[in-house]
Amino acid sequence: MHGVETAAASTGREVEGVSRDRRTLRRRAELLLALTESDLRARYGRGGVRLFKWLLDPFALVGVYLLLVSVVLDRPGAAPGLSLACAVVPFQLLMMSVMNAMGAVDLRRSIILNMSFERSFIPASAVLTETVAFAASFLLLVLMMTVYRVSPTLAMLWFPLVVAVNILLAVALAYVSSLVGIWFSDLRLFAISFVRTLFFLAPGLVPLSLVGGRAADLLRLNPLSGVFEGYRSVLLYGTRPAAWELLVPTAFSLVLLAITLPIYVREQKQFAKVVA
Amino acid sequence: MSAAAIVAEDVGVRFYFDRLHRVTTPTLAHVRRGVTESWGLRELSVDIRGGDAVALIGRSGAGKTTLLRVIAGILIPDEGRLSVRGQLGSLLSIEAGLLSRLTGRENALLLGVLSGLSRAQARLNVDSVSERSGLDDAFDRPVSSYSQGMLARLGFAVVDQARPDILLLDEVHEALDHEFRERVQERVRELLGRGGIVVAAGHDHPLLERVCNRALLVEDGRIAADGSFDEVVHEYLARPLPDAPARAAASGSRRGRSGTRSSARRS
Repeated sequence: MHGVETAAASTGREVEGVSRDRRTLRRRAELLLALTESDLRARYGRGGVRLFKWLLDPFALVGVYLLLVSVVLDRPGAAPGLSLACAVVPFQLLMMSVMNAMGAVDLRRSIILNMSFERSFIPASAVLTETVAFAASFLLLVLMMTVYRVSPTLAMLWFPLVVAVNILLAVALAYVSSLVGIWFSDLRLFAISFVRTLFFLAPGLVPLSLVGGRAADLLRLNPLSGVFEGYRSVLLYGTRPAAWELLVPTAFSLVLLAITLPIYVREQKQFAKVVA
Repeated sequence: MSAAAIVAEDVGVRFYFDRLHRVTTPTLAHVRRGVTESWGLRELSVDIRGGDAVALIGRSGAGKTTLLRVIAGILIPDEGRLSVRGQLGSLLSIEAGLLSRLTGRENALLLGVLSGLSRAQARLNVDSVSERSGLDDAFDRPVSSYSQGMLARLGFAVVDQARPDILLLDEVHEALDHEFRERVQERVRELLGRGGIVVAAGHDHPLLERVCNRALLVEDGRIAADGSFDEVVHEYLARPLPDAPARAAASGSRRGRSGTRSSARRS
């Protein structure tokens, strides 16, 4: 009888544990959504003007780079506008996530100094905010596919995975950026310039197929290269992404997260001292 | 409600400063050169039970805000033990956790969720916050357009909606207008009546006296005196200023200026 009671109690505890886990998960999801919702309003305002703000940057960048590649450098390649959009759109997510995350703790200074809450979600909410803007800029990809008459193929099925890798890299960079924003606030501009440089040290302006020899091998080591080429494989070439295009950025992101996440979780306990 | 309680035993909070006297984190302190440390609180012990309304008295920089932040869970003690029992509500600055680009309504929703409510519950409560704050149409305007008093009203209404067992106030109530102060006092009496705790810091002693039945004198991060409000305030006012010897050695005209500063500080 005692054994039966123990088993029943154990099952009860397990059910209670699962229910508590679900509550915790739900609570965390709500917290993340609330932080993101407020961030979206604080950064992008309200109403239809938001869409304009989200689209302005990627459209302007593709326009400027298109001019540079086609006229100045005279290396347009195939469907240059779409090729550029395949780099600019994912890079916008990375760049904006880095910029948002670097100032995210400062932005919430008044909350951090007034109440205790799960501050580990701050960089994640910065990425989620920018992902909404990023989703809006898919319009640019569709537009470029239409302009260059590139039809979608079955390779489009890989698109969600390519986007997931892009978001994973953004999350990893966001945690590092938040720490940089707290530790070395004077170096924020330098950090932004560094990320911009990574764009040019990857096949951003021209696809990897137009870069020859050892340079192409070296560019593959840049995690941004895999992301850009992944978009091009799926949207421009109509093929499934090569393994390295997914694996290099994924491995880089996971290593970065494995290093920075524990540091961030420990450091977030000190945020109130630093931002006070 | 289970009885609210705050028990601190030898609590210490340490700050690290870099060569430019900016606060830095312990991780960077281990890497950087020329880092110095200072204790915001040290060996601080206090026992506050349900029904206590405690005023934190002391000069600026003595550690009152740090103590409130430790109780609120915003700062983690670097040494000692702290036990806080009860739902917390804190209003530790005029901005009170409000984001200037958001409206009063949007802030109320965000802070409701951060304080532990579900999003649905926070949405349900938002009209009640609007009513409690008395901000009327301004509730739907960005808080960047608010006066200090309006910020404090909104902050208090947001905290109050969560029906906290422990209310922490840091000089915020001093920004409130007369009418809203009455309302705060009413809420404090109601909270104490159901076994809650109020801890308030500030320099407006007559205002604190109306709310608090006990006071702690905080000096250099330690509790220098603990007792009834009148006793502790009397002891505080009787103490010499920390830089009194230096001033005593100074000229007559300098002494005159010090006297003015002294009375201003203890207003």
